[in-house]
Amino acid sequence: MPESIPASLIIDTLKDTFREARAALAAEVQEPPRHQHLGWVLSVPDTHQKSVLAALDKEQALRVLTCATEDEANAVAAGLWIGGEPCALMIQHAGLYASVNTLRGVAMDGRVPIFYMIGLLSRERDKDPRESRHSMVRYAEPLLDTFGVPHARLEGPDDVHLIPEYYRLAQKRRGPAAVLVGLETI
Amino acid sequence: MAMKPEEVLRAIAAARGDAICVPTMTTAPAWRTIAPDDFSVTCVGFMGGASSLGLGLALARPDRRVLVFDGDGSLLMQLGSLATIAGAAPRNLTHLVFKNGVYHTSGSQETPGGLGVDYVLMAKGAGYRNAYAIRDLDELKRRLPAMLSEEGPVLVELYTGLAEKTPMTDRGGRPFHEQAEKLRVKLVRPR
Repeated sequence: MPESIPASLIIDTLKDTFREARAALAAEVQEPPRHQHLGWVLSVPDTHQKSVLAALDKEQALRVLTCATEDEANAVAAGLWIGGEPCALMIQHAGLYASVNTLRGVAMDGRVPIFYMIGLLSRERDKDPRESRHSMVRYAEPLLDTFGVPHARLEGPDDVHLIPEYYRLAQKRRGPAAVLVGLETI
Repeated sequence: MAMKPEEVLRAIAAARGDAICVPTMTTAPAWRTIAPDDFSVTCVGFMGGASSLGLGLALARPDRRVLVFDGDGSLLMQLGSLATIAGAAPRNLTHLVFKNGVYHTSGSQETPGGLGVDYVLMAKGAGYRNAYAIRDLDELKRRLPAMLSEEGPVLVELYTGLAEKTPMTDRGGRPFHEQAEKLRVKLVRPR
């Protein structure tokens, strides 16, 4: 059975992920960005991950930028990447549907490595998301499959290792990669 | 009389210094001729994204001025970006809106509201530090130094006519991914 993931665990994992990303960039380039923070979380607020967003409000090491739309978040991510900054997009499945053309244009055709954390709001605890009675839950993985976006499920605290793995995968393949947050974070 | 976009771009090119520039749609063909092979990346393939792309660049590189050459039709596609930019408040971002009242690239259909839409008012309402309109090339040249150095985010509505070329009549130029990679290399400088 899936379990909810504590916000602090997700935030600590993101910090480690961005720390590693900064170190990797610093080893490769002469002029890495020099900021006090570790990286960016670009968010269009997601009810499913609201405990993470609330905890991020008190975080100094991660900068949070709330965007009006997921389309904007994708384009901001491109600018940050060009400038050498690590970032993650924290959105909801409905936001994924709303922004597929920008995902295509920026992350796929534009070859910008973008890591997505997508909340499966209303996902039933006892059902596989593909069998959900809610279309917004049911279509998320098939949509990502259609676009060829690699994805994995965060079904509990033991799965947070997938955050750095899929972040790295996005960088390696120069494109999108996503993790789906199965249950509401706590 | 509306300014010619090419003349506006030439004036900007002469004054911009090392600013990163983000053209889109009808400013793209002229800009790659006026300022080839430089610190620019064209928003192509995701219409409406120029302002947000510029915001990301401005946040990543606060040491450099970022100039967005937006269109009125393009901005309307992601109008919420005005609030997002104002919320982030990048001091180094200048958002130029080339206002011609039409979707020139797709055949000059009028944009919703046409020339009656007031982007200055919208930017001020969203919370930009400054916003104003310029209708005359001499005024543009006179105000450019301040425009490129004043504390942002600032939006400048430029009353312009139609460009000589559009991305449909002049299809040259490198794809976004090549431009993005090239600019990234220039900014972070691989060992």
